[in-house]
Amino acid sequence: MDFISFIALIVLDTTASWLRMFAALFLSILLSIAVGIYAATSRKAERIILPVVDIFQTLPILAFFPFVIYIFVFLLPGYIGINAAVIFLIVTSMAWNIIFGVYEAVKVLPNEFVELADLYDMSSWQRVRKIFIPAAMPRVVEQSVLSWSIGLFYLVTSEIFSIGNANYAVKYGIGVALAQLAFSGNYLYYAIGIAVFIAFVVATRFLFFRPLELHFTKYNRVSEESKKHFALHFGIAKAFNYLPKLVRAPAKRLRAISAFRRARHPAGASRNAGAHAALPREGIKNLKIKGLKKGLGGIAALVLAMLLLAVVLRYPVVVHYEYEALVSLAVSFARIWLAFAAILAIAFPVCVYLIFISKHRNSYLLFFQVIASIPATILLPIIVIALKGYALHSELTAFVIFFLSGIWYIIFSVIASSTSISGEIFEVKRLFGIKGKSAWKYIYSRALLPGLITGSVTAIAAEWNASIVAEYFTTTGISGTNVVSSVSVGIGKLLDVSLGSGNITLMIIALLNLTAMIIIVNTFLWKRLYRKVSNTYK
Amino acid sequence: MSEVVLEVRDIVFSYDDSPSQRILDKISFKAQKGEFVSLIGPSGCGKSTLLRILARLIPPVSGEVIYKGKRLYAPTREISFVFQDFALLPWLTNLENVKIGLANSEISEEEKKRKASGMLEKMGLESVADYYPNALSGGMKQRVGIARAIVSDPNVLLMDEPFSSLDELTANALRGDVVSMLKSSDISVNSVIMVTHNVEEAVEISDKIVVLSNKPTKIKQEMQLKLSYPRNRHSKVFMQAVDKVYELLTK
Ligand SMILES: Nc1ncnc2c1ncn2[C@@H]1O[C@H](COP(=O)(O)OP(=O)(O)O)[C@@H](O)[C@H]1O
Ligand SMILES: [Mg+2]
Repeated sequence: MDFISFIALIVLDTTASWLRMFAALFLSILLSIAVGIYAATSRKAERIILPVVDIFQTLPILAFFPFVIYIFVFLLPGYIGINAAVIFLIVTSMAWNIIFGVYEAVKVLPNEFVELADLYDMSSWQRVRKIFIPAAMPRVVEQSVLSWSIGLFYLVTSEIFSIGNANYAVKYGIGVALAQLAFSGNYLYYAIGIAVFIAFVVATRFLFFRPLELHFTKYNRVSEESKKHFALHFGIAKAFNYLPKLVRAPAKRLRAISAFRRARHPAGASRNAGAHAALPREGIKNLKIKGLKKGLGGIAALVLAMLLLAVVLRYPVVVHYEYEALVSLAVSFARIWLAFAAILAIAFPVCVYLIFISKHRNSYLLFFQVIASIPATILLPIIVIALKGYALHSELTAFVIFFLSGIWYIIFSVIASSTSISGEIFEVKRLFGIKGKSAWKYIYSRALLPGLITGSVTAIAAEWNASIVAEYFTTTGISGTNVVSSVSVGIGKLLDVSLGSGNITLMIIALLNLTAMIIIVNTFLWKRLYRKVSNTYK
Repeated sequence: MSEVVLEVRDIVFSYDDSPSQRILDKISFKAQKGEFVSLIGPSGCGKSTLLRILARLIPPVSGEVIYKGKRLYAPTREISFVFQDFALLPWLTNLENVKIGLANSEISEEEKKRKASGMLEKMGLESVADYYPNALSGGMKQRVGIARAIVSDPNVLLMDEPFSSLDELTANALRGDVVSMLKSSDISVNSVIMVTHNVEEAVEISDKIVVLSNKPTKIKQEMQLKLSYPRNRHSKVFMQAVDKVYELLTK
């Protein structure tokens, strides 16, 4: 292949990928505007939509890809089905934070706008078009930048995934093209291909999103504050911040009151009595609701248990599948958290250096924003080739992919959140000569904690997302499917293999286990940590 | 009383982003042992910047800071600082925040804890030692900030508008406490340099007032105040002094 036609092909392949991305972004924005406005204007909808979005936002939906592709190809055979599956998947990665953005933008609109609409007797559709959508657009653009980088990870990974299975091949796409180049031993072209990909990423950031940002902030200036927010958290912290607020608003207000009184009368604990006097009545009401909820919960659990029993009795193989899923999950869990530990061990000192020692954190921010949006899985083919021949090469490959998938999110999130560390803290450090061990203990570890927590959630989600290609990587050759790299046990592998063998029951059971585990870890570890930290920090 | 403790000579400063615009233009003054000096000037004229240069938190473009006859190049434990917005570390308890003032001291952990607790008690805060700063009112936060600044027995205390984030009643109470403590002999602090834009405050507590002009910031005049403490805000001499400072400021 001569150089010119190679470049033309690579550009065409990247364009094909980008078309999927733009289609997904367009759909995500439509969906977000509809859902976001609905959630912001209807209390009932709000109560259902927010928790659902919250859960989906932290699920590694890419792990559902084998299942999604199975369903879509079943419904829409061939090329269309596969592309629809890819686009659907990217939408599920992009939409959540845009929904939150729209929701917040509409929610914070001053009441005067609604009164104005009433005054002019505007119809609902007019309100949406003339008030809600224009108000939400700056946030939509702002969140789309993030969604784009998350979407790229999904895109490339799903493309790479698809090369392993002739039945589900995407055919044209930068992920596919790069893998083929690597496996044909054409490393120079592979490197050039990656350069083209990065050029597309950067060009999209500056030629597509930047003008949009400028356009939509012209008449509705995004405040510095919200910009900071946006850089901060990939939307996740927002969900963490917001949900407890919503659910516990009354309790929180009470706590604020008592904290206030405590502050004014630190010694007089008895003066707090006033704040607590209001409690009993509320308490009784809460108890009743709690009792009712418990009763309903009990009945639901009973019904579920009976259903489960019926399924198990009818299909005993389910027990075996469950066992297999649990073991795979446990092994992947260990693998992913080991890589996560390595990420922390490296990312944390790097962040401390960048933020506290080199002091050029702002210039690194854009750099890491771009780096974080280059999907690690694009390197998968070359990593597999490089590690081939080493003992445990499949474990090593998985480790490296997990590591590279997660580390940028941590660095990016920590650096972004460090912009909210007050400058005086740096001065306090210098003034009192806080160095060495005490600096780590009293300043670094604590100041970076919020960014570390939100970064950890995204980093680990990215690792789980990568698991469907990191643990089990196949290509399709003339002689059929070719397993290039495969760990012995793992949930990613289990999902892949169950798709290959058409064992959808096993796949669904694996997904249920994975989902449950993610929800449990998020609820009992990350959210608690985050709440604890954000309570003391502000 | 003529021993110079802290002296600045010909301080020139401009921020990196606009090097041509001088924030401080050849500032020189001295603080004697036992003296309470107020720097007063319009807001935005560079008072906080000057105080940070005195503490060597930022380097001047030219000019020198001299402490006890030696040129200063970095913050020293002998010179401490009270921030306008408290600058407490939100993730540490109030006691731990005060202990930060001893981070650099070669004393045992027990000793640090004992000293910090003692200082909190002196500031009337022993009951909130284990609370986090966010549970405190502004006045109490500044008490913690002051405790942190003096727990390491510094010789010179620099204060950047320490009372201006507080409401008037709280500010008055805290000012009274702080001044009587600083004047008492059981505190190591000898000289105080305080930034303020409140004329009455400056006249109430200073031995010397340094009046700054704006654009570029230079020293307009130094004014010695030979009134005895405590000063009565309604006395004639007090009001005359206040009028004189106002006159200097607006001239
Ligand atoms: N970090 C900075 N970078 C650039 N300009 C600054 C910075 N900090 C303060 N300034 C400017 O320097 C001038 C003096 O600021 P400051 O020392 O805080 O004044 P004051 O304390 O007298 O109110 C102001 O005009 C302010 O806008
Ligand atoms: Mg100031």
